[in-house]
Amino acid sequence: MQEKVIIVRYCEIHLKGKNRGYFEQVFMNNLEKALAGIRHEIRRPSGRYIVENFDAERTEEIVEKLGKVFGTHTLSVGTKVAADIEAIFAEILRIAPSSGTFKVETNRADKHFPLNSVELNAEIGGRLLEKNPELKVDVRAPACVLHIDIRENGTAFVFRDVIKGAGGMPVGTAGKGMLLLSGGIDSPVAGYMIAKRGMRLECVHFHSYPYTNMQAREKVEDLARILAEYTGGLTLHVVSVTHIQEEIHKKCPEEMMVTLLRRFMMRIAERLSLQTGAQCIVTGESLGQVASQTIEGMTSSGDVVKTMPILRPLVGFDKTEIIAKAREIGTYETSVLPYEDCCTVFLPKHPLIKPKLDKVAAAERALDVDGLVEEAFAGLETLTF
Amino acid sequence: MIYLDNAATTRPDADSVRAAMRYLEEDFFNPSALYKESFSVHKRMEEARRQLLSHIADPAKFELVFTSCGSEADNQALFSAARRGNFVTTEGEHAAIFSSARELGKRGVEVRFAALNKDGTVNEADLLSKVDEKTSLVSVIHVGNETGAVNDIEGLAAKVKKINPRTLFHSDGVQAFGKIAYRMSAVDLYSVSAHKIGGVRGVGGLIRNKSKTLYPYIYGGGQENGLRSGTENTFAIMQFAAAAEKKFASLAADHARIASYNQMFRKGLDGELFCILSPLRASPYILSVSARGLRGEVLQHMIDDAGVLVGTGSACSARNRFSRVILAAGTDEKTADGVLRISFSAATTEEECVSAIGIINRCARELYERTR
Repeated sequence: MQEKVIIVRYCEIHLKGKNRGYFEQVFMNNLEKALAGIRHEIRRPSGRYIVENFDAERTEEIVEKLGKVFGTHTLSVGTKVAADIEAIFAEILRIAPSSGTFKVETNRADKHFPLNSVELNAEIGGRLLEKNPELKVDVRAPACVLHIDIRENGTAFVFRDVIKGAGGMPVGTAGKGMLLLSGGIDSPVAGYMIAKRGMRLECVHFHSYPYTNMQAREKVEDLARILAEYTGGLTLHVVSVTHIQEEIHKKCPEEMMVTLLRRFMMRIAERLSLQTGAQCIVTGESLGQVASQTIEGMTSSGDVVKTMPILRPLVGFDKTEIIAKAREIGTYETSVLPYEDCCTVFLPKHPLIKPKLDKVAAAERALDVDGLVEEAFAGLETLTF
Repeated sequence: MIYLDNAATTRPDADSVRAAMRYLEEDFFNPSALYKESFSVHKRMEEARRQLLSHIADPAKFELVFTSCGSEADNQALFSAARRGNFVTTEGEHAAIFSSARELGKRGVEVRFAALNKDGTVNEADLLSKVDEKTSLVSVIHVGNETGAVNDIEGLAAKVKKINPRTLFHSDGVQAFGKIAYRMSAVDLYSVSAHKIGGVRGVGGLIRNKSKTLYPYIYGGGQENGLRSGTENTFAIMQFAAAAEKKFASLAADHARIASYNQMFRKGLDGELFCILSPLRASPYILSVSARGLRGEVLQHMIDDAGVLVGTGSACSARNRFSRVILAAGTDEKTADGVLRISFSAATTEEECVSAIGIINRCARELYERTR
C-alpha cells in the first residue's frame, strides 16, 4: 500500500473559539471549490485536512490550486504507508537527502503504536545514519526534517517538504466587499489583500469606450480571472463612464476631471454594493501615489459614500512593495500590458492635488449627477468568473 | 459593413477558394510523395508557381519560393543575404524588415537606416551614401504599408549595384504585388503575400534571381529545392495562383478605378478635420489621413460602431502610441496621433466609398464636438 496524500494545514482558524466549526466548514467548501473537476477526496481529521484518492500525475496542479486557497497555512505532499516500522523506514530512506543534517519528527495520533514519538525518532534516525554515514543529526537547525505522522487507522503519512500556502482566512468568513478594479497594478493587489482576510469580493470596472479599447477590457477580465483563483469565483460588473467624462470635460474645470470622476465611481460602487449585498467599497489607493490619492482627494471621493466604509488596504504601501506583491500573486504581467483604462484623452495636464470639498461640490452642480449615474447603470454588464 | 482595411487583409476571393477546395478534399495528397496522385498535385502546383511568377518576372531568370507569409519571405531574404558586412534599409519598412534588422544588429551585422522624404519615400541620396564595398544587402519597401508611398526600386537597385555590384537588393512587395504594374529586373529578391489580393492567409513567396545564392531559413525535408522545407500548403498555393490570375487580369482597370475612389476620399473628407498624409503619387490602394487633434484609435472605434472598418496609425497604448513610419516622414506627434489608414481592394465599390466618407466625416465631427 503506497499512495500519495496532500496534507493541508490551516492558519488562524484555531483562534476562533466557538465559531471554529463554521470557519472550518467554509474552508472545506473553498478547498472543494478549488479542486472542482479534479478527482479527489478531502477528509478532516483533527487539526488538518487530508486530500487523497487523486491521480498522482496531477499532484503538482492540485498543490498549486490548494496553495492559493486563503486559510491554507502550509501543505505537504506525503506518502501513505502501513503503520509499521519497516514500511515507514523504507519510505524515509526514499525521501531522505543524500548528505547534510536532518532530524526525524514524529506525530503519533495513534497511541497504540508500539514506540512513542521520541523512540520512533531515535529508531528511524539511527537506521538512517547506519545506511548513510554522510548524514548527520541536528535537532536544532536541521537542513531537512523528515516527518512521520502515525494515524489512527493503521496507516502513517511520511513526508519531507513543507510548502507555504497563501495564508489568511477562508473567503466568505468576513462579509462581502465591492472592489474598484481598474486594470492597473494596485487594485488587484488590494483585492487580494482584502480577500485574504476572508472577504468575498465583487468587482466593478469602469471603461470609457470608444476612448478605451476592447483589449483594455479583456485585460481587466484576465485580472478578474487571476483573482478568482484565490477567491473561489468572482463577479465583475462593467460600467461605462464615457458620457460622465464627456460631461465633466464640457461643464467643469479641467483640473477637476479626476476628482469628479472618482466621485461618480464611488457613487456607482455604493449603489452596486447596496444592490448586491456588499458591505464596503475596496480600492487600491495608496496615499500620495497619484494626484487623486492625496488625503484631500480621498476625502473628496469618500464624501459621496454615505452608507458604508471604504477600505484601502494599500494606503500605507510603497509602489515597490505593491509591485512585489503583484508579482507574487501573478497579476503583474497582466497589469502592465500597455492599454489605457480611463483614457488620457480627458486627462488634465495639471490635476487638482488638494481639492476643496466646497469647490468640488460647487463644480459638480453643473452636472445632472443622478441622471448620469442612472444612465451608467442602464448599460451595466455583469460577468462571473 | 463597409470594409476599408484591405492593407491589413482582404476578403478571400470566393471563386478561387471554391476551386481550390479540392486540394483539401479529394486531392489532399502530399505533393512530394511518389505515387501518381501526388505527382499530379505536384505538377499543378508547379504550374501555379510558374503562373504566379510570370506576372512580374521572367521564369528563365527568376524563381519563386513559396513561404508561409510575407514576413517569412522578408526574414529569409534578410537573414540569408545580410550575413556579413553591413545591411542598408530604410525608416519606412514594414515591421517584418524593421524588427529583423534590429535582430541582425544584435547578431553583429551593422545596420544602416536611410531617412525618408516628406512624402514617405526613401531619400535616395541618403540611401546611396550608406552603401559601400561592405554592403551585403539593401532592402527597400516597394509600397509603404502605412502611407502607400511608392519607391522606385528598380532605379534604386541599379544605382546600388553601380556602387557595389556584389550587393543584393531586396524589396518587400507585399502591398504592391497585383496592385501596381511592375516587372523585376535589377531587383534580386522580392517578397509577396497572398492575402493582400484575395488570397488566403498562410502562403507568401520570395522571388529570387536564380544566379544569386539564397540560403534556407527553415530546414527539414528539402521541399522548394531545399530552400524552404515543410509540406507544401497546396490549398493556399492553388487559391493564391487563381486569385492572382484574376487580379493581374484586371490590374490596370482596378488601378484606375481605385484611384478614382482615392480621389473621392481626398476631396470628400472634411478639410477642417482631416489632412491627407499619403502623397499624390502613392499607391491608390492606401490612403493615410490624419484627424489632427483627435486620436486615431478612438475615431476608429466610433467609425467601427457606425459600420465602417478602417485601419489606424495610433493606438490607445503606452507603447506603439505613434507609428514609427509616420513620424519618420517628418510628421509631428499631434498629427501622427490622429492617423487613419483607409485601404481599398478590387472588391470596393463606389457606393461604399460614398457612404464611408459620410460616416467618417460624421464620426470625426461628433468626436470633435464631444471632446472639445
